[in-house]
Amino acid sequence: MFADAPVVVKERYVIQRQIPTPIETRSVLAAPSPAQGDFTLWSSTQIPHIVKVAMTLGLGISESKLRVIAPRVGGGFGSKLQVYPEEMLSLALAKRLGRPIKWTETRSENYLATHHGRDQIQEMELAADQDGRIRGYRARILVNMGGYLMIITPGTPLLGAFVYCGPYGGEAYQVEFTGVFTNTVPTDAYRGAGRPEATYAIERAIEALARKVGKDPVEIRRMNFLQPFTEPTASPGGLQLDSGNYGETLDQALELLGYEDLLKEQQIRREHGEAKQIGIGFSTYLEMCGLAPSRVLASLRYAAGGWDAAEIRVSPTGKVVVAAGTSPHGQGHATTFAQIVSEDLGIPIEDVEVTFGDTELSPLGMDTYGSRSISVGGVAVHRAAMKVVEKARKIAAHELEVAEDDLEFDAGTFTVRGAPDTAKTIPEIAFAAWTAHNLPDGLEPNLESSAAYDPENFVFPYGAHICAVEVDTETGEVGVLKYVAVDDVGRIINPQIVDGQVQGGVIQGIAEALFEEAVYDENGTLLTGTLTSYQVPAASEVPSITLGRSETWSTTNELGVKGVGETGTIASPPAVINAVIDALSDLGVSDMERPATPERVWRAIRRARGGAA
Amino acid sequence: MIPAPFDYVRAESVDQAIELLSGNDDAKIIAGGHSLLPLMRLRLARPALLVDISRLADLAYVREDDGQVAIGALTRHHDVANSEALQELAPIVAYAASLIGDPQVRHVGTIGGSCAHADPASDMPTVLLALGAELVVLGPKGTSRRVTAADFFKGLFQPDLASNEVLSEIRVPKTTGRGWSYLKFHRRAQDWAMVGVAALAGNGIGPAVALTNMGERPLRAAGVEEALAGGADPATAAERADEGTSPPSDTFGSAEYRRELSKVLVRRALEEAMSR
Repeated sequence: MFADAPVVVKERYVIQRQIPTPIETRSVLAAPSPAQGDFTLWSSTQIPHIVKVAMTLGLGISESKLRVIAPRVGGGFGSKLQVYPEEMLSLALAKRLGRPIKWTETRSENYLATHHGRDQIQEMELAADQDGRIRGYRARILVNMGGYLMIITPGTPLLGAFVYCGPYGGEAYQVEFTGVFTNTVPTDAYRGAGRPEATYAIERAIEALARKVGKDPVEIRRMNFLQPFTEPTASPGGLQLDSGNYGETLDQALELLGYEDLLKEQQIRREHGEAKQIGIGFSTYLEMCGLAPSRVLASLRYAAGGWDAAEIRVSPTGKVVVAAGTSPHGQGHATTFAQIVSEDLGIPIEDVEVTFGDTELSPLGMDTYGSRSISVGGVAVHRAAMKVVEKARKIAAHELEVAEDDLEFDAGTFTVRGAPDTAKTIPEIAFAAWTAHNLPDGLEPNLESSAAYDPENFVFPYGAHICAVEVDTETGEVGVLKYVAVDDVGRIINPQIVDGQVQGGVIQGIAEALFEEAVYDENGTLLTGTLTSYQVPAASEVPSITLGRSETWSTTNELGVKGVGETGTIASPPAVINAVIDALSDLGVSDMERPATPERVWRAIRRARGGAA
Repeated sequence: MIPAPFDYVRAESVDQAIELLSGNDDAKIIAGGHSLLPLMRLRLARPALLVDISRLADLAYVREDDGQVAIGALTRHHDVANSEALQELAPIVAYAASLIGDPQVRHVGTIGGSCAHADPASDMPTVLLALGAELVVLGPKGTSRRVTAADFFKGLFQPDLASNEVLSEIRVPKTTGRGWSYLKFHRRAQDWAMVGVAALAGNGIGPAVALTNMGERPLRAAGVEEALAGGADPATAAERADEGTSPPSDTFGSAEYRRELSKVLVRRALEEAMSR
């Protein structure tokens, strides 16, 4: 394939190491109740259910004697998708001493002991026709795993293994990963986990291909996109994609950006040789999320399943408690899941309470990571709600003395077909189910249900991000002028929460492209061990973001939902770096290291002008 | 992250503060604490006694005095930035103060603390050096002396202050009629300057240019000033910006990059000062 192809692009990219930096560092409190012989472990974690299993396995405490609570958790970004020694140590000490043990890390400790993310060297090749149509993809990835393996250290890069072809077509696909141990903090999941790295490789490489064949970055993408589809479709990377219309998000993003005007402005500045040049960069990404079909996880040697669970109890007075198995740390599950149940049962949203993050209140679950909460946990909630409706239908039919098929259900009320005044509401049925005075033979009392959902496939959000930057060619400083994100994350339950996820993710991705880098010296000392030296940007350094939206329902699940937690960090780094390169392409710059610090940009310009590196 | 043990006294007067300093070699003045406390938390500073002067209200003021603007050492950065007297009579001082740290730092940190800390990456020492400001230092038995900024900032974290002296006032000349510029190159609003440039020009006085974070103390860009005095245009003069400097290399940028950056920033600062 690569030997015969008329055009071959071969690129090398370094994905720098990053520190996840949740606003709340890790904190653990282990408290024994000597009278009962049991323990409660509070941990600032994303995964209370998995932590509980690990603790019982490690310490020999029976599962019935341990309650794990993830209280309001101040962010994780993957760094709390982990079982940490301090959790087990605190619990072991509490067990031995019979006293509560509390441990909280400082920011510096968080930087030194909580896992890091990214850190790859990529070799990315594209084989293409003379006109730029891609035939094949080949990626060789070297991954710095750190000093030892943590929960999914080797699995993290593999989560990107299937999307090195982005949303594009082609026949051949090969990826190869080599993990290396180094004297550094282990790397593991960090918002996007493997997919930002893959997206960076393909979105940089396709622009390199565009330059090589003399095509516009928009044109090269349009000619390589998979055609619109609403039925499962195979990708070169071996996935069965759920639904997609890739060109549509790009068209919308171009319009929101005002592409033509920016191109004119760019031309004027180039002609005048101005110190501040502008550039436009694209990223039309495709990702896979919603972890995950348990069988797929088995093939990746992941130790847990990918299902999730929910229980719903309708009280005699018509109030609803939803026990969800996912464990939010800022994603707004209480709101979104209440919306789902409110709509399914026709119960006012204020009468729906959602519990989570507590193994006593929500005993079954696989927690929150990999943009799975809506497309796995949310579907489990919906299925549990539909089971409530089906049980309620039996009771309503019995009470109204009609066949179940003669009932219509709408907005929380069963009515008899053709006799709309004959009706039963969910609260009425819940009361009847509680008194159990008049239930159908064999039906259990109470209106409640549980569901566990194991998805058969991933979900595949996609979209088009465009970034316009201004680069000071004298100082190397980069400023983001405008950022447009048009994402298709399937059906939207709560637009405000979705917008917040996209904005936060994009900003974190801009930080990745321009600011954040964990640096070690040759002795293995972390030089960026504080918030002063590790450059997390603040509000004053990031732009406002223009959002568009496309809404193609997923065919993987009956809610039609995909996932949105990671799209921003997956999409944005190549958009920003491509924009920086575009701004300087007139000066001969065709590569940019990341993060694109002022000094790196200044050196790239000097190199292109024929000076020293 | 936890400081070594120390004693703490809140001074009721400057005299008492000096007396306390005189009685303990390891005593340190604390005002806003925004430079000292981070050092203590990292145990890079381990004073045995902290003498807190932050309640001495009579050290917080901005007023015209004898043809100069006198700024009390305890004046918070926020109040320096928003002083109408400074905005009118020495606007470069007010502007530079508005760039220090973030709003929380500016409401607590003081101009005196910034000067007494003598960090070459701080903005205010550079501005005072360019202005030819004077600093008033009080010592035991009511003694008082005035030091020029050029003499006061002796080296890295080395102000011209004996262990039993207190910086009480900063006196800046009025810059009426002079153009000015302070350019602070930093990546995040709350960061220190990677490089900073203070420039003053016009009104029949030779241009003054000083540099932040280009050596162990704030530095006058002597080569630039010399070139300008010889009639060079700003762009040509700015090429000598890094003469006599020894900028640091760190994770923010290399010394080589800072040298080049200083040339660009000096040119831009001069152009701005001359057009103002």
